[in-house]
Amino acid sequence: MDDLLTDFLAETAEILAEAGGALVAWEADPADRARLDAIFRLVHTIKGSSSFLALPRVTALSHAAEDALDQVRRGHRSANAELVTGVLGIVDRLSQLCALLGQAGAEPPGDDRDVIAALAADGETPEAPETTADGGEIQLRREDDFAIDAQGWRTIRVPLPLLDSVMTGVTDIVLARNEFARMLRETGADPSLIASFDRLSDSIAGMRQSVSQMRMQRIDKLFAPLPRIVRDLAQDLGKKIRFATSGGEVELDREMMENIRDPLIHIVRNAIDHGIEKLDDRVAAGKDITAGISVSARQSGNQIEIEVRDDGRGLSPDALVQKAIAARLLSAADARALTPREKLDLIFRPGFSTASKITAISGRGVGMDIVKANVEKIGGVVDLRNDEGRGLAVVLRVPMTLTIISGLMVRAAGQYFAIPRGSVREILLETNDSVRIERIGGGELVTVRGEPFPLLRLETVLGRQRDPGDDVEDRALVLVRPGQGQSYALSVAAIHDHEELVIKPAAPMIMATGLYAGTTLPDNGRPVLLLDVQGILAAAAIDASETGRGLDRTVEADASAAAERGAAQLLLFRDVGGRTRGVRLSVIERVEEVPALALFESAGRIQVQIGDDIFPVHAARLPEDHGALKLLRLYDGQMVLCYPIEAVIDIVRLPDMTQPAAAPGLIAGVALIGGEPVEIVDPFWLMEQYAPGVAAAAPAARQPVCRLADDRDGWGGNFLAPILRNAGYRVVPENSDEAADVLLCLTDAGICAQDGGDVPVIRLRASAAAASADDDTVYRYDRGALLDALRRHVGGGRP
Amino acid sequence: MMEKLYLIARIADTRVALRSRSIHSVVAVGTPVEVPAAPPHVAGLFALRSRVFTLIDPHVVVGLAPVPAIAGQRVVVVDVAEHGYALLADAIEDVCFIDAPEARVTGKLLPGWARVAEAMIEHEGQSLLVVDPAHFITLPALKAA
Repeated sequence: MDDLLTDFLAETAEILAEAGGALVAWEADPADRARLDAIFRLVHTIKGSSSFLALPRVTALSHAAEDALDQVRRGHRSANAELVTGVLGIVDRLSQLCALLGQAGAEPPGDDRDVIAALAADGETPEAPETTADGGEIQLRREDDFAIDAQGWRTIRVPLPLLDSVMTGVTDIVLARNEFARMLRETGADPSLIASFDRLSDSIAGMRQSVSQMRMQRIDKLFAPLPRIVRDLAQDLGKKIRFATSGGEVELDREMMENIRDPLIHIVRNAIDHGIEKLDDRVAAGKDITAGISVSARQSGNQIEIEVRDDGRGLSPDALVQKAIAARLLSAADARALTPREKLDLIFRPGFSTASKITAISGRGVGMDIVKANVEKIGGVVDLRNDEGRGLAVVLRVPMTLTIISGLMVRAAGQYFAIPRGSVREILLETNDSVRIERIGGGELVTVRGEPFPLLRLETVLGRQRDPGDDVEDRALVLVRPGQGQSYALSVAAIHDHEELVIKPAAPMIMATGLYAGTTLPDNGRPVLLLDVQGILAAAAIDASETGRGLDRTVEADASAAAERGAAQLLLFRDVGGRTRGVRLSVIERVEEVPALALFESAGRIQVQIGDDIFPVHAARLPEDHGALKLLRLYDGQMVLCYPIEAVIDIVRLPDMTQPAAAPGLIAGVALIGGEPVEIVDPFWLMEQYAPGVAAAAPAARQPVCRLADDRDGWGGNFLAPILRNAGYRVVPENSDEAADVLLCLTDAGICAQDGGDVPVIRLRASAAAASADDDTVYRYDRGALLDALRRHVGGGRP
Repeated sequence: MMEKLYLIARIADTRVALRSRSIHSVVAVGTPVEVPAAPPHVAGLFALRSRVFTLIDPHVVVGLAPVPAIAGQRVVVVDVAEHGYALLADAIEDVCFIDAPEARVTGKLLPGWARVAEAMIEHEGQSLLVVDPAHFITLPALKAA
């Protein structure tokens, strides 16, 4: 068949599908001029291309439809159901013709006068259109007709196998690149060679990205035939249905789209046939007689969620059980043990049909079991959200593409496996404090922040022994959510990394194990199996549903976790003297482990050499033993100070209540943590001790001067002054003669002993709570508020 | 002429003839990756260019104990139902034209061999079993169970 005709057929098939949907939408709202214009343009395009290829029947049909629509456009004819039915009749005939054209390669002879006459329902018979190409009058196009055609030139049609071969080619290139990279590393190539190789790598990565995008299509295409199906079916069944789609801009891999087309249509048919009640029943139920069905798509991460929602009668779990028993799928005894969710899931059993009798509409031997199987085949999930009496939503969750997914690489039994990133909820180390693993009755369960999960060991699932080389410290839990309302913890020997993976189906006997969803070739060139998180669940035969696991506690735990994130955190450690102390986590840059020999004494101070840098160490003398030493590296934004510790204990929330120390010094105060008193280290004081000559280092620019007033107990001089200096202010004592820019009043009585004159005054109070709403004093441990107030009054300082 | 072309190889301790049109290629296998929980005749996966092949151990298929694959061992690559498989071969001997006609298998074979052998052929004074590599891919039901 010649290429021109192939292109025409492919294009026309698309246009016809789109036109069908658009016509139905226009019928619902005949005033929508933009839509009418769009339909007109579609028909016009078919007419134009067909006259080119000398297809007189196609030209005549599209001409008739175009004519009728143009009359509406010009206001000579009103839009009504007959007109729409007439145009749809032409669309159908065109589809049939195109199918025949595809088989025969030439237009079959035939008579289309019946459908053309049906369009002239207003009585006036339109003059029989010319059926020859040269006679076909090409209407002068209006301005708006050009817009869409101009776009048409910007895309080209490419056969899918070609795209696939490009894809395979790119994957080959990536693998070759990796091999090459390994060789470069091993031979120690010179930097300029590596640099140009890196450039090559970058462009290959970009190309791989583009190729996967090439296969993406808007999900609109999938939705296009639905309005037509709904309209026809609703008319046949005498139901009134308002149909809406949304999220058509979401993109999906082409191949994926092919795979969910039939399941989606089936679900929509089911909704109309079984879900939506008869008109009388709707009235009796107090519902609007016009039922609503909506299909929406949205992208969440690497997955696409397509929801078909209706406001019909929903599913009745008990009725489902009755039917399952009647169909001998289930014994009455088994039925009693079912949870409500399991009862709903009965509709996915083979041989189950929800209609009392099989209807011509949905009962074609294609049940929900086939839908489920088809969706699962491509790594998707079908989920039901039932609201008995008020409606049902069927949710299809499918990966965005069959070919490239983001995968988490894990290790177990000495080999690597991939887990689809989309179904991973959280990753935790087994040694994490919020994880509790218990063995109950031979099974294992793990409690994470109060929420229990069934625990599966990947080695056990795969029937393998643990690799003796594994480090117990590396063992991690992957919290997996294979479907809505289900979750479990998968214990693996180690987490490797995550990668964009090209997924290919594995051989049937490997897929038959139910444990794998495919194979992939990561960058190291060794095949890796992609785990089927749903299949593992089935193989382990555990109940992973979240219901009844104490969800309230989950909510609580989540809330407290959120509160924890908001609050300041404290690093608990044991210092070299064996005492438990804490320091605000935010001032710690990292924990360093150095050999004791890296410490040396110079100018009466202990210093440490880390890499090329030398930092002061808070220690009175050099350590005696020569082992390794842990150092907390404190950083104030300018300088680093190392604080030697014995071990890190934990990270906890900084308690609201701390008892300030009587005298200023290393310890700012004491707090109760887990019932034990913990000394809180004052990093400000510490930093001040080791600051390299505050005055000498002061920049030439004038620093704002703060005068401390009423500093009776020395708190201001010892506690506050370092903070202020740190923030870029110069602090002068009360009796200084120097003109101050701001006065800090340290009494909480509200009266300052010294008159500020025209110098702004900031008053500090000792209690955390403000005395009244218009209290303008600042709590003296509220560093942020104090510095804000200073900045407001005098400016300067470092944020 | 093509239908007279055979690959003579030693598979599962037996010299056999494979019809060349049923074979994709003969390659050397890298280190295979194990497939836990797979049927016993699946010896692992290996990658060749950007394709992943399933390695089959013919020993298991004919009822012998599995023999682990060695890196660099030669394998016979076949395509069955759009999936790529590789049969581990003990040795690849030759590709040659055999003019003699294929004859019906005479004599009683072991059950494992009876399932994979399609005919016999006379080559250089020896009788060789003609096997279809596709028969090695699936295990009989009783074994898989």
